Amino acid sequence: MVHLTAEEKAAITGLWAKVNVEETGGEALGRLLVVYPWTQRFFDTFGNLSSPSAIMGNPKVKAHGKKVLTSFEDAIKNMDNLKDTFAKLSELHCDKLHVDPENFRLLGNVMVIVLASHFGKDFTPQVQAAWQKLVSGVATALSHKYH
Amino acid sequence: MLSAQERAQVAQVWDLIAGHEAPFGAELLVRLFTVFPTTKTYFGHLGSCLDEVALLNHGQRMLMAVGVAVQYMDCLRAALAPLATMHAQMLRVDPANFALLSHCFQVVLASHLQDEFTVEMHAAWDKFLAEVAEVMSEQYR
Repeated sequence: MVHLTAEEKAAITGLWAKVNVEETGGEALGRLLVVYPWTQRFFDTFGNLSSPSAIMGNPKVKAHGKKVLTSFEDAIKNMDNLKDTFAKLSELHCDKLHVDPENFRLLGNVMVIVLASHFGKDFTPQVQAAWQKLVSGVATALSHKYH
Repeated sequence: MLSAQERAQVAQVWDLIAGHEAPFGAELLVRLFTVFPTTKTYFGHLGSCLDEVALLNHGQRMLMAVGVAVQYMDCLRAALAPLATMHAQMLRVDPANFALLSHCFQVVLASHLQDEFTVEMHAAWDKFLAEVAEVMSEQYR
């Protein structure tokens, strides 16, 4: 269960308001697939993943990245109740998609790096700390229904 | 093992940091301690109140060691042997923390380089820092 202070929540929502969900999602997922190539195991049907530029430009990667980040919006709207918010998605990732929850942690950290690159100095240590708490909370919530 | 291309990426980024080891190192430590407070347990010897001077000094030390690693990417084990011994016998930092440091390092790079922190640089640095971490903990047991 993640406990975010009012300040941390403000830091998160303040940054989120300026995030381009479509582009950021695609970039985060793309970077995950490039930096940790073994994560490509879940995306056999995505076509050309043969090089960093192929991955970053792949339309299926971009579309799926957008989908993932859009669902992150739910996290931000329900920061006090991540477990319930992601219960169904957790079941899906366990029972149908068979994704090792370690991948949620990897993606969360890649997202933090992408946000840092977009927001530069505004991505202060305190803002980073708030976001790390959130991505960690989402990763935990997504693994909650695993069995 | 880093490819020739990856080594070039690592060196290219280092050129941007060289000369600024102290402020980058200080920021790295601030991020590490802020985001992962448990890491502070290893820095009691710096004093209970980590002021700017202590952070700059220790940050510079750490980044200069990274600079050595960059310079001797072809023979990391030999170049980092004294540091590896120190970590094994004296510091005994749990290896899980090296991943936390590596992550915060990449956040520092990303926030300073922004658009210039390309996906290729990101991949090369993650791999490079993982290799450094491996060398650091090699003598642990």
